[in-house]
Amino acid sequence: MNRFKQVLFVLLLSFLVLGLMGCKQAAEEKTDAEETTETEQKTEETTEQVANEQEAGVLNLYTTRHYDTDEELYKKFTEETGIKVNVISGKDELVQRLKDEGEATEADVFITADAGNLARLKADGLTQGIESEVLTSNIPEKLRDDENHWFGLTKRARVIVYSKDRVDPSELSTYEALTEDTWKERVLIRSSENIYNQSLLASFIELNGEEEAKNWAAGIVANMARTPEGGDTDQVKAVVAGEGDVAISNTYYVGRLLNSTDPEEVKVAEQVGVFFPNQDTTGTHINISGATVVKHAKNVDNAVKFIEFLSNVEAQELFAEGNNEYPVNPNAAITETLTSWGAFKEQDINLTILGDNNTRAIQIFNEVGWK
Amino acid sequence: MRIIQLVKTQLNMWAVLSFIFILIILLPNILIAVNFFGEPNENWFHIKEFLLLDIFYNTTILLVFTGVTTTIIGTSLAWMITVYSFPLRNFFKWGLILPLAIPPFIGAYTYQGMVNYTGFIQTTLRNTFDIQVNQKYFSMMSMEGTIFIFTMFLFPYVYVISKSFLENQSSSIIENARLLGANSLETFFRVVLPISRTAIVGSVVIVMLEVINDYGVVKYFGIQTFITSIFQTWFAMGDKESAFKLAGTLMVVVIAILMLEKIIRGRKQYSYSTSKVSPIRQKKLKGVKAWGVFSYCLVIFSLGFIIPFVQLFFWMIMTYERILSKEFFTLIKNSFFAASTAALLIVIIGLIIANYSRIHKGVLPRILSRITILGYSVPGAVIAIGVITIFLMLDRSLSTLFTMLSFDITFVLRTSIVMLISAYIIRFLAVGYNSIEAGFEKVGSTFTEASRTLGSSTLGTFFKVDIPMIRGAIIGGFILVFVDILKELPLTMLLQPFNFQTLATRAFRYANDEMISEAASASLLIILISGICIYFFHKVLDRGERN
Repeated sequence: MNRFKQVLFVLLLSFLVLGLMGCKQAAEEKTDAEETTETEQKTEETTEQVANEQEAGVLNLYTTRHYDTDEELYKKFTEETGIKVNVISGKDELVQRLKDEGEATEADVFITADAGNLARLKADGLTQGIESEVLTSNIPEKLRDDENHWFGLTKRARVIVYSKDRVDPSELSTYEALTEDTWKERVLIRSSENIYNQSLLASFIELNGEEEAKNWAAGIVANMARTPEGGDTDQVKAVVAGEGDVAISNTYYVGRLLNSTDPEEVKVAEQVGVFFPNQDTTGTHINISGATVVKHAKNVDNAVKFIEFLSNVEAQELFAEGNNEYPVNPNAAITETLTSWGAFKEQDINLTILGDNNTRAIQIFNEVGWK
Repeated sequence: MRIIQLVKTQLNMWAVLSFIFILIILLPNILIAVNFFGEPNENWFHIKEFLLLDIFYNTTILLVFTGVTTTIIGTSLAWMITVYSFPLRNFFKWGLILPLAIPPFIGAYTYQGMVNYTGFIQTTLRNTFDIQVNQKYFSMMSMEGTIFIFTMFLFPYVYVISKSFLENQSSSIIENARLLGANSLETFFRVVLPISRTAIVGSVVIVMLEVINDYGVVKYFGIQTFITSIFQTWFAMGDKESAFKLAGTLMVVVIAILMLEKIIRGRKQYSYSTSKVSPIRQKKLKGVKAWGVFSYCLVIFSLGFIIPFVQLFFWMIMTYERILSKEFFTLIKNSFFAASTAALLIVIIGLIIANYSRIHKGVLPRILSRITILGYSVPGAVIAIGVITIFLMLDRSLSTLFTMLSFDITFVLRTSIVMLISAYIIRFLAVGYNSIEAGFEKVGSTFTEASRTLGSSTLGTFFKVDIPMIRGAIIGGFILVFVDILKELPLTMLLQPFNFQTLATRAFRYANDEMISEAASASLLIILISGICIYFFHKVLDRGERN
């Protein structure tokens, strides 16, 4: 009985604490949901500060990017402008959430990796075009939508990572060459469920035609060192472990290993080389993570201010540095790691294509048995 | 006239509330069922041709093998703890529930992090002993690895349920078997397993539902199952109709499992005519046998708890300076708030429905009480589809209503926490309800009837007699739900309001971005909080046994 009382006491105590938290939470919730109205009411009676806040208002952000530096940037934006940034962070499902919500959405800005996703948002009529001189001068034409519906924020390259011990870079040339017999059971790549692979194949559909793209996918499946498992980092580690000799990976995963706190991971990164394929032909596949103003956004001005803020040199450097990506703003400096890999020729396609070809790419992967 | 009278007696506050709650639970399911029969599109034929067979195959293999392994480990441990006394038995008795504190997806990331090329095992072999190993044997990312993960972190369901069954039910049978000369193995296989069949099957079904529902583990290990396919068609292909169809197919599978459970259980019930159940006297093991049993328990406990815990601890040490900030307090606060609010509401709703179906015997209340389990059988992702759709409708009608009444407020349910909490309730009501229903069954209705005869109202009796008598079950139910929600992933990810992350979503976010050591701090917090809750749960259970 005594023990039961103890348990009950602790539970009651935790309830009390939770109850208090709950009240606070509820109050915060209320502020979030009714921000505009409440501030409107308050202005009549209270201080100038509140008036400022009301002027500044809020910005509601859906993002599938979530690095700690991103959050620092949101804070910085709030400090500079007084605009409060509300965030829902998730993955692919956010796109669907935005679609489902339609006109009723609360989101103002959507940030997501992969131009394919952004292009599909536009195709679904969920984005709007933005007139902003800041954006058009900060972001190269190629890395934004032709009607300015979305803007690239960081740039990533999908490259061939090879074992320095077993592969001479002179053996490497193109993505297509990896389907040749010399690479049998030597190629490592993650599952087709991943959007990076889908966009890669989507770019081949555009550049080489559907038939060639399908042959490429089938050829890679035939040359795979193992059934796809894990993420890009796992492929890089598998190269060093000797499971395969080359891996297709985004550059920033190698960058992250190089800068890891775990010395073993640094060792791994030092044993691989980064090769930019297709330099003499179509160029290395690049993609972006980018932002778009939502069609039914309620705080359009703040949304534009926010994206402009993210495109300025200072923010760009932080933004890209957080994940070892390439900044889109040509004036921003790149990290030491990225400098060491050198410059490269990029695929020259309109990134919008990646969205158009996405479903076909997924189907091809399934058809050729790419897990 | 009689009908009116019947309606009058049946239609009271309890009934009305019960119906409302049940309706809320049913809505998303109805929505899915309706969509299931819609016209198939091109994608669906593609899925049927290239994926469905794989999905079925993988899901079946996972279910069958995890079912078998959890049964073996769970029941053997329950048996040993119940009938033997050996070193550290009293600790293992509750320690073996602790693996439940580790969400399987965190277990998966931890083990893969440990065995991979830069993990602790291989680096030690390489750097200290200069041994290069074949990678084939050092990957968790296979069917076997997935089964291992599910087994290690889900077997406690079987263990807890079989243990409490054995402790309460079987002392005299086991003692008689012993008297008749059966040795331990014989007693276990010929007596214990058959009589605890009902309890075991019930608990294995819970394990299977958890496996079906998992997203984190199979996503990371690249095993294509129903859930990963639903996510892929819904989010990657943007095809909600086909996702609904997959979800519907999955519900058929779930119903098949539930029916299979009924068949295996059969009508046989081994219960006692007398309420006097004497506790089992534990046989004291000595020498090799004692250490054998001890080692078995230790190995399982290490694999399911100590090893992942220690690994996460080391990762936390490596990263906490960068990771642990004051935002972590917000994460803890959010997790606590969401889990306790939902658990509290579930307990209240559970009490109302259980009390209603207890007072009014009959078909309708029985059906009602069965529907509560529906949410737990339906995968979180599927519930999320339904809940979002319903809240969209709600928001639209609310805004129309406000405009009509010309109120100048915008109140959006979707971006408030209401939507998430509702989804939790739909999903986890069964967990709390089962505990409460079991509590009611145990005390019977004699006390309630006595109280009513003495002139108390139903409501008065409810508060003065019923609730105090089953408080153990209520607290137990609350804790189970609380821990479940703390670990919950798909619903929280899909339905989060603005600026609302939990420990689980934060841990998954880091891990999913391939930053496993950064995920350690959030993971450890989940494990610690769940661990403490499980300890209390054990105390509540223990107390129930002694009374």
